[in-house]
Amino acid sequence: MNNLTVHPLIALLLFPGGLFLLGGGLLYEWIDRKLVARFQNRLGPRWFQPLADLVKLLAKEEITPQGVNRALFFILPVIALASALTSALYVPIAGFVPASSFRGDLIVTLYLLSVLTLCLGLAGANTMNRFALIGATRTLTQLFSYEAPFLLALLGPAIVTKSWQIMTINYYAQQHTWMAITQPIGFVVALVGLMGKLELPPFDAPEAETEIVAGAMTEYSGRGLALFHLGKNVELFIGLTMVAAFYLGGLANPLEFLAKTLGLLVVLTVLQSLFARLRIDQTVGLWWRAGALLALVQLVVVFLLR
Amino acid sequence: METQRKFIVPIGPQHPALKEPGHFQFTVDGEIVTDASVRLGYVHRGIEKGAENRNWTQNLYLFERICGICSHVHATALAIGVERLAGVQAPPRAQAIRILMAELERIHSHLLWLGVAAHEGGFDTLFMYSWRDREIVMDLLESLSGNRVNYSVNLIGGVKFDVEDKHRDAILRGLDTLEERTRHYLNVVTTDRTFLARTRGVGTMSRNQAELFGTVGPTARASGVARDVRVDAPYEAYTLFPVNLVTDEGGDLMARFVVRTKELFESYRLIREILDHLPSGELTVRVPRKIPAGETVSRVEAPRGELFYFIKSNGGEKPERIKVRTPSLCNWASVMQVAVGHKLADMPMILSGIDPCFSCNDRMVLINRGSSSQVWSWDELRRYGIEYYKKL
Amino acid sequence: MKFKLGTMLGDVIRSAFKSPATERYPFVRKEAPERLRGKLFWDPAKCTGCQLCVRDCPSEAIELIVLDRVSKRFVLRYHPDRCTYCAQCVVNCRFNCLNMSSEEWELAATGKEPFTVYYGRDEDIQFLLEKIARENAGERVECPE
Repeated sequence: MNNLTVHPLIALLLFPGGLFLLGGGLLYEWIDRKLVARFQNRLGPRWFQPLADLVKLLAKEEITPQGVNRALFFILPVIALASALTSALYVPIAGFVPASSFRGDLIVTLYLLSVLTLCLGLAGANTMNRFALIGATRTLTQLFSYEAPFLLALLGPAIVTKSWQIMTINYYAQQHTWMAITQPIGFVVALVGLMGKLELPPFDAPEAETEIVAGAMTEYSGRGLALFHLGKNVELFIGLTMVAAFYLGGLANPLEFLAKTLGLLVVLTVLQSLFARLRIDQTVGLWWRAGALLALVQLVVVFLLR
Repeated sequence: METQRKFIVPIGPQHPALKEPGHFQFTVDGEIVTDASVRLGYVHRGIEKGAENRNWTQNLYLFERICGICSHVHATALAIGVERLAGVQAPPRAQAIRILMAELERIHSHLLWLGVAAHEGGFDTLFMYSWRDREIVMDLLESLSGNRVNYSVNLIGGVKFDVEDKHRDAILRGLDTLEERTRHYLNVVTTDRTFLARTRGVGTMSRNQAELFGTVGPTARASGVARDVRVDAPYEAYTLFPVNLVTDEGGDLMARFVVRTKELFESYRLIREILDHLPSGELTVRVPRKIPAGETVSRVEAPRGELFYFIKSNGGEKPERIKVRTPSLCNWASVMQVAVGHKLADMPMILSGIDPCFSCNDRMVLINRGSSSQVWSWDELRRYGIEYYKKL
Repeated sequence: MKFKLGTMLGDVIRSAFKSPATERYPFVRKEAPERLRGKLFWDPAKCTGCQLCVRDCPSEAIELIVLDRVSKRFVLRYHPDRCTYCAQCVVNCRFNCLNMSSEEWELAATGKEPFTVYYGRDEDIQFLLEKIARENAGERVECPE
């Protein structure tokens, strides 16, 4: 056991849940924006910009559009953020032992991460706005396309470890060669799947601003929008942690965590700035024709060599 | 049934895809567009009417403001027409400087379009880089004229400033960088797979269609229609510096990217040639304040296509009538036809494919059977406007 | 034709090690080109009061107020907010009284005062301002012309 443990209450409110996660999400959003800006030869935002955006949005009036189910409209952003925060309990944030862990928590975490996307889809479908409706359709279509390959890609390490517990996989990864080397296809699919999950370019068709304004989030303003954004940032943070823990030799201490997740983030930002946006049909085609197939091939190879 | 109802996606008048106001209605079936319609007129400014209240020189600046991107060609078209009515011709050096500025403006316009079109396709990196490089030509225009957008180069009867040696060197240096960058962009738009997935075979318009819809400029040339005023009816110094026509048979969005980027190379070549053989002599010729009565047509090639001016003088200091037909107006029909059958996601790119300029389109069409009067005075127009908005 | 993925990778990587192309404008200033058309300046010494600059101004940004034509007492009232910086007045002036500054071009202001500029001899401006003030107070004052 080379990981450290923390008190449960601290785990829930400060670290790794709660404040730390929110701060981490905002920091990673800033790094993401700054890097993309620098890759595009721009100056980029200052370090407090994501926080300033958040504070501004929280301070603003939240407009409830006509024709929505008000309860759903208010609760969806909360559920989205809450599920993203909850999923942090099972992953080795900053290289510490997950605050809570049981056999099979990998599946729970993956579903918790998908709840955010589902909430987004529902939020879009809840409003009368036509852009939001199309955005919702696209969000859910995209969910169905990347989810299977992403899941398959994360199953590879689980099968090798013979455990469905994230903590165990993390230990196993620390003691063996990086699985990015032994399972390169799975690594690529997981990384690109993460981009699809976070709706980063080129998979940003669900919120393509030049077509459907802000997609499912079009009718959201103020608090709801802030919570959705925050949820996405947290998901970015957790997603990076998971991929790093599984494929980059595990996360044993904060230093390793920082180096590995930031390394992954750099790769993500480079990929983000290289491509034109894919149409939703192209995204689906890509995932089912290439993504799912590649992930399956990887799984078969893992099974055969086990 | 719910499913039987039409699902219409409105784009505009305010929408992130549009940089100017216009309203489009796309009827969609899932993601497929089954019908498209356009409504323009949000930025009608009454320029043609306003022209009747200003003298010829003042109109030069009024018409320069029809379009913020191709401002110089508008002023050039007017100046050429007025000079023709007055029976004079700008001196050769002035003519050369006019087309030099026009070509620099074309470079700035095409690079701007490249960025906007890439942004519509979600390729923000190309957008940022092409706009960064556009700064080079903007700085050149600024150092030549003193302004970055409405250069105000023209006078009736000439140009305001000369091109000196130091400007010549700066332009040549800038063009070298731009040429290298443009070669890179041509490579990107013709080989990048994700980008081609959005442009190849999208918005295809056959040559017949292009002629039928009466398209002009790069939009027509990308469908193989050899149509360019600079070649067909050379004006000003284009007689001395002939232009090579750039066409492409593709007709799709990719062809429009290719045509516009190749036109950039043609502009670079032309500017180098103009700078090497700049005629010497005066910059202006005297033109009377009162322009002899008569009417004329002046055509020039704007970055977006053929720009048409009808100018009528009654022998006074002010024009009797100026009618402008801008290139974007000719290209609209093609967009609405081509859009049907494509995916909603392609709409912004198809729209931006013709490099639309909304503000220069808008005219007032009056359908009023009640009054027999065809000519409205300012007071009548003003009253009509007040009444119109009272009704709303 | 070859089709490639990530054709802009070179740009992206190079930019990461280069300083950004964007400038932090109010903190970093680039020198304006020599020909920049900034604020208009008027030299009363050579003016003959021909009004050609006023006649061709497309935006009615200049007014030449004649106090006394014989002794050439003119005041030029200039409105930088109306001005389109086309330099037509500068071209029109046969005596080179007008020129546009390449140094003064940051003309934005929150108040109205900076947008009415008087040029001329100090005593003439003083005279004109007093006249306007008196007119505003309700007195009708005839121009000495």
